[in-house]
Amino acid sequence: MSQSTGEIADLIARTALRDRIAFRELYRRTSAKLFGVTLRILGDRAEAEEALQEVYVKIWQRADRYAAGGYSPISWLVAIARNHALDMLRARRPFAEDIEQAIEIADLGPDPERAAVEADERARIDACLGELEGDRAEAVRGAYLDGFSYEELAARHKVPLNTMRTWLRRSLIKLRECLSA
Amino acid sequence: MSVDGEQGGGEDGDRVRVAEFALGLLPAQEHEALARRLATEPALARELALWRRRFSGLDSEFAEVTPPAGVLERVEARVFPQPAARSSGLWNSLGFWRGLAATCFALAIVAGGFALAPRPPLTGQELVAALEAEGSNIKFVAFYDEAAGMVRIAALSGDAAPNKDFELWAIHGTSPPVSMGVIPVGSKSDIAVPAAMRPGFVAGTVLAVTLEPKGGSPSGAPTGPVVAKGATTAI
Repeated sequence: MSQSTGEIADLIARTALRDRIAFRELYRRTSAKLFGVTLRILGDRAEAEEALQEVYVKIWQRADRYAAGGYSPISWLVAIARNHALDMLRARRPFAEDIEQAIEIADLGPDPERAAVEADERARIDACLGELEGDRAEAVRGAYLDGFSYEELAARHKVPLNTMRTWLRRSLIKLRECLSA
Repeated sequence: MSVDGEQGGGEDGDRVRVAEFALGLLPAQEHEALARRLATEPALARELALWRRRFSGLDSEFAEVTPPAGVLERVEARVFPQPAARSSGLWNSLGFWRGLAATCFALAIVAGGFALAPRPPLTGQELVAALEAEGSNIKFVAFYDEAAGMVRIAALSGDAAPNKDFELWAIHGTSPPVSMGVIPVGSKSDIAVPAAMRPGFVAGTVLAVTLEPKGGSPSGAPTGPVVAKGATTAI
């Protein structure tokens, strides 16, 4: 994946310039990944397909907001797909909310090697999650990868809701220490 | 929202809330309240960027699943403007473009720049484009004179960005953008168009300006955000 990172960044930049061929190529190269994201979070093929369509409409409309920063282009695309899927989940939950601004990703400044960044982030989060107790790391991953709410996490891990909140918050504090070390 | 000690105020409290925000765990009201704070508190926004970047290390765990056929076609039907729909409005009015071209010249004369002096008889076509983009205060007007083989471009508004340059691109049809070099802000410039590129300059050629590292895109392809763009029209 990392070898193609620069190419994906170029395709996003060309999409921002309304280059339709580049947009098609971007879809060809990335749609399986983004469908994997919407499908995992929404758990329903028809909904995931509808979400994927909306996600690429957003990518076409917002490609010019991609700033080449210390953020991998694939992660930028995954964030759009993930946030859109979470948005759909929230709409189903009792309290609907707007997470539109969650799509904005700050430019982290001058870009280091993007591919190296990708591998680096992976190793770092793995190492830091590895320092947490197994079920707590699993809860963090469940929130990020599956879009589970506190209620769903509590049910899956068979603990009271407040226990899950406490677990997760303590885990996040530990994670933060480890991740910024 | 103070059911337990972890969620008290203070730096850790904020940090945890931002992490919960990034994961999508906050209930609606809290989420919205934090979104408002994120918009005005740079330290919190940096914290969010940090969490996002760190969590993105998990992205490789999303398995690839080939989507059903037909999604791309539906996306394209929505985002690519249909030819029939682009016939009306100020943007397509010849009068508007003539006016714009006149404005362009007036600006040029005021700036004391473009040689108004004996213009050669009209031997080639002339194209004009207004370059702007949503969310950007940067506007350019560009004029292509085929006879002179020049693109003349003037900034109408917008500020330079520190340690960044603006780079001009020409896009012919569906080909990749071709760099026309770095352009100054706050003044006009004449850019010679290489002879090989001239036949590509026809009405509909898109000119775009992107924000690039000092000295221009290192890769030869645009890397930064588009700050202004527009399609050329014959005058």
